[in-house]
Amino acid sequence: MNPNEFDVIIIGGGITGAGTQRDCAMRGLRTLLIERSDIATGATGRNHGLLHSGARYAVNDAESAEECIRENMILRRIAAHCVSETDGLFITLPEDDLAYQQTFVERCRAAGIGAEIIDPALARRMEPSVNPDLIGAVKVPDGSVDPFRLCAANMLDAKLRGGQVRLYTEVTGFIREGDTIKGVHTRNLQTGETEDYYAPVTVNAAGIWGQRIAEMAGVRIGMFPAKGALLIFAHRVNNVVINRCRKPANADILVPGDTVCIIGTTSTRIPFEECDSVAVTPDEVNLLITEGAKLAPSLSSTRILRAYAGVRPLVSADDDPSGRNISRGIVCLDHESRDGLKGFISITGGKLMTYRLMAEMATDAVCRKLGIDKACETAETPLPGSDERSFEAVAKSIWEAPSTVQKAATFRMGTRASRLKENDRYDDALVCECEEVSVGEINAAIERLDVSNLTDLRRRTRVGMGTCQGEFCACRAAGLLAGSHGCVERERADLADFLTERWKGNFPIGWGDTLREAEYTQWVYKYVLGI
Amino acid sequence: MRFDTIIIGGGLAGLTAGISLQKAGQSTAIVSAGQNSLHFFSGTFESMLGMPPRVVDLFAEAGIHLHYTPGVRLMSLGTFGKAFLALEDTDLFPTEKFARKALVVNFAGFNDFFSSFLAQGLEKQGIACRVRLIHLPELDPLRQSPSEMRSVHMARILDGIWEKVVQEVRVLIKDEDAVILPQVFGLQGADIPMKIRQAIPARVVFAATMPPSVPGIRTQMMLHRRYEILGGTYLMGDEVARAHVHDSVVHSVATKNMDQHFLTGDHFILATGRFFAKGLASTPEKVYEPIFGLDVDYSPDRNTWYDADFLKYQPYMRFGVKTDPQLHPMVGGEPLKNLYAVGSILGMTRPDLGSGAGLAINSAFTAVDNIL
Repeated sequence: MNPNEFDVIIIGGGITGAGTQRDCAMRGLRTLLIERSDIATGATGRNHGLLHSGARYAVNDAESAEECIRENMILRRIAAHCVSETDGLFITLPEDDLAYQQTFVERCRAAGIGAEIIDPALARRMEPSVNPDLIGAVKVPDGSVDPFRLCAANMLDAKLRGGQVRLYTEVTGFIREGDTIKGVHTRNLQTGETEDYYAPVTVNAAGIWGQRIAEMAGVRIGMFPAKGALLIFAHRVNNVVINRCRKPANADILVPGDTVCIIGTTSTRIPFEECDSVAVTPDEVNLLITEGAKLAPSLSSTRILRAYAGVRPLVSADDDPSGRNISRGIVCLDHESRDGLKGFISITGGKLMTYRLMAEMATDAVCRKLGIDKACETAETPLPGSDERSFEAVAKSIWEAPSTVQKAATFRMGTRASRLKENDRYDDALVCECEEVSVGEINAAIERLDVSNLTDLRRRTRVGMGTCQGEFCACRAAGLLAGSHGCVERERADLADFLTERWKGNFPIGWGDTLREAEYTQWVYKYVLGI
Repeated sequence: MRFDTIIIGGGLAGLTAGISLQKAGQSTAIVSAGQNSLHFFSGTFESMLGMPPRVVDLFAEAGIHLHYTPGVRLMSLGTFGKAFLALEDTDLFPTEKFARKALVVNFAGFNDFFSSFLAQGLEKQGIACRVRLIHLPELDPLRQSPSEMRSVHMARILDGIWEKVVQEVRVLIKDEDAVILPQVFGLQGADIPMKIRQAIPARVVFAATMPPSVPGIRTQMMLHRRYEILGGTYLMGDEVARAHVHDSVVHSVATKNMDQHFLTGDHFILATGRFFAKGLASTPEKVYEPIFGLDVDYSPDRNTWYDADFLKYQPYMRFGVKTDPQLHPMVGGEPLKNLYAVGSILGMTRPDLGSGAGLAINSAFTAVDNIL
């Protein structure tokens, strides 16, 4: 059999593509996923990491709210190691209308979201960082989810089921026979090599870039790119998600995640051409700080770690070129019935929370085309790292490791951390002190999770995501990477790219302690290490 | 408490001023918050282009011997930088191709030394390299804790077993004419690195590790000791909280630890460093000097503070306090008559005095001469 032949080709290595690949692989298909960059580089890795309860959408979009709460409960089961069950608060401040709270709670309950009005005093005890002036509070089952980990776990599972992944590979065109897509032309962006792959069905899961992919296939999808800017604070100020109980607006969600917390977001329509180079403006930074401090006043004196922005893949409801009817819902297009193009499906719209449902819809469409009748099992089958063993048992099984390594690794790798049992003392040494990432965890990621550079490694292990933003760990990790792929010249360039990428998120908020840290880092790399 | 001169900041600039003033018969106090840029000192004196006897003598009297070898220094990632003056155990070479063949040696499990980068950098210069690891069970206690394999902790152990390291290197060496080792020797003095050099039949080069810098911490300790031997009062772990200034004259400063006991003096030297050391502070709107509220030379438009390219020179590094030719900093354009700003708090406002270690020493001497 031709090794370049598959049952289905998936374009896009974000959460939708990874989830679709997993679902297809679970239904017995031979899958290939193609991503022009690394996993989770688009909107997947550039959001709050909020495990929505759906409450945010309850008043305006009942359908999204119902999808969210269903998926929320599913992810707690199948992706336990990617999820923190923090709960969430919707707070009413003196300037907000308390009457909204009643509507909000009724709509939440109608959607199946357990929303409970609690006394503001109880809310203050539950979350001491919350604005003490609050006049109302509703508790909902929000949480946080690590999108990088979730994406990597889906892809790893697909690979364990025989799926293949090509990262840093760009689709340059479609192989088309008459009115049928038969495969794709690709180019590896690292080696320049070109390769053709064949499959009876191709799924376009490229997020906002799906518009270009569709154009390449000769069909049109109307996308409406909306930039969202966010700020990461250097401390986990809150342990409970804090939202404003009012109509959704800018900067009204504060999500705790790992060692940090994230405030966001803004929403600005941008031209499609700017999707590849979004930057956070000073006005957005000011707005996020001002509004964020209303949720948790201590944010105004908390160090900001970085600013970043993502682009939401909003889609006009089908065939509405005016864009008036923008949907945040899931859009699954079979281009055969829509455009007369066979063998091509687009899955877009939606959100991180509903990726599994999107994958299910796309996979159902693929199976229909292939004449396969097999039910979706992704809602019941745990992802690698969240299997039936308890995290506690795994942490105990690596009891010889220092306690920091035990905790941090189990937290990030879930039950996969039991692999670290074979570690020796050398593997226990910390590479990243801020996030407590050990040599062993880095080597495990390099071996198993398709890492080809430091930024890839960061997305899979949190190396360089902490307070020092890569000051110490970048160089250490570069040493380990150079050892694994053996090319120092390449690693030298990689190190410079990594530091520049970190700096890109630092300088928009470059004052106070951030500037102190930056001065130190820049001085050390330039004058001591000699980059 | 009263002194002739109060020095705020205990890094290279503050210590240079303190030692010089004590030697000239003044009574001085240094208020030091703790760490300073000597903790990541490369071992070479940036922007010192000559070998001023005054500098060499000051260091020699503290037990620190310098050598003057105009050329280049080897940096951690296998690149080279220009240098002229260096600590005796920090090598300078006339050209980058300083050897024919080099053996790069690291200690197993030490991730703060980049032997593969060094080897590749040297091979670019035509120096053939072999990289080897030494396994020493004596370092195992450090591995009990995952963050103990750092330069200074290693030096504490390796200084006691340097002869064993020499034996191991002698076993590994073949026909190499150079051996590169990490700078993890000589925490108390340069004698151990110098003994290692003599005991290995090739040119031994100590290359910098990730901070902290072992020769930097040693330099700090030796200058500190020299300052106290000369009778200086070094207030460690304290910070100036506020200053009393009248008619452009500083009368006293209060520290955090001795709130009610003011330090009064005829002269004051401000050697508090730049952003990292908190000599300068910044908000989204402004850059300011936190103790005296001195005039700072900076751009009011924050968008011009940075270059998006991390590797390019960053404009914010130029920012510094404004001074008159005698290094008196100013408030509202009016110089403070008995205050002197020295070291990196000057930013690039005084390019005539150099940068880095050169600026620290040159500006300290300028202030000392004006005081005396």
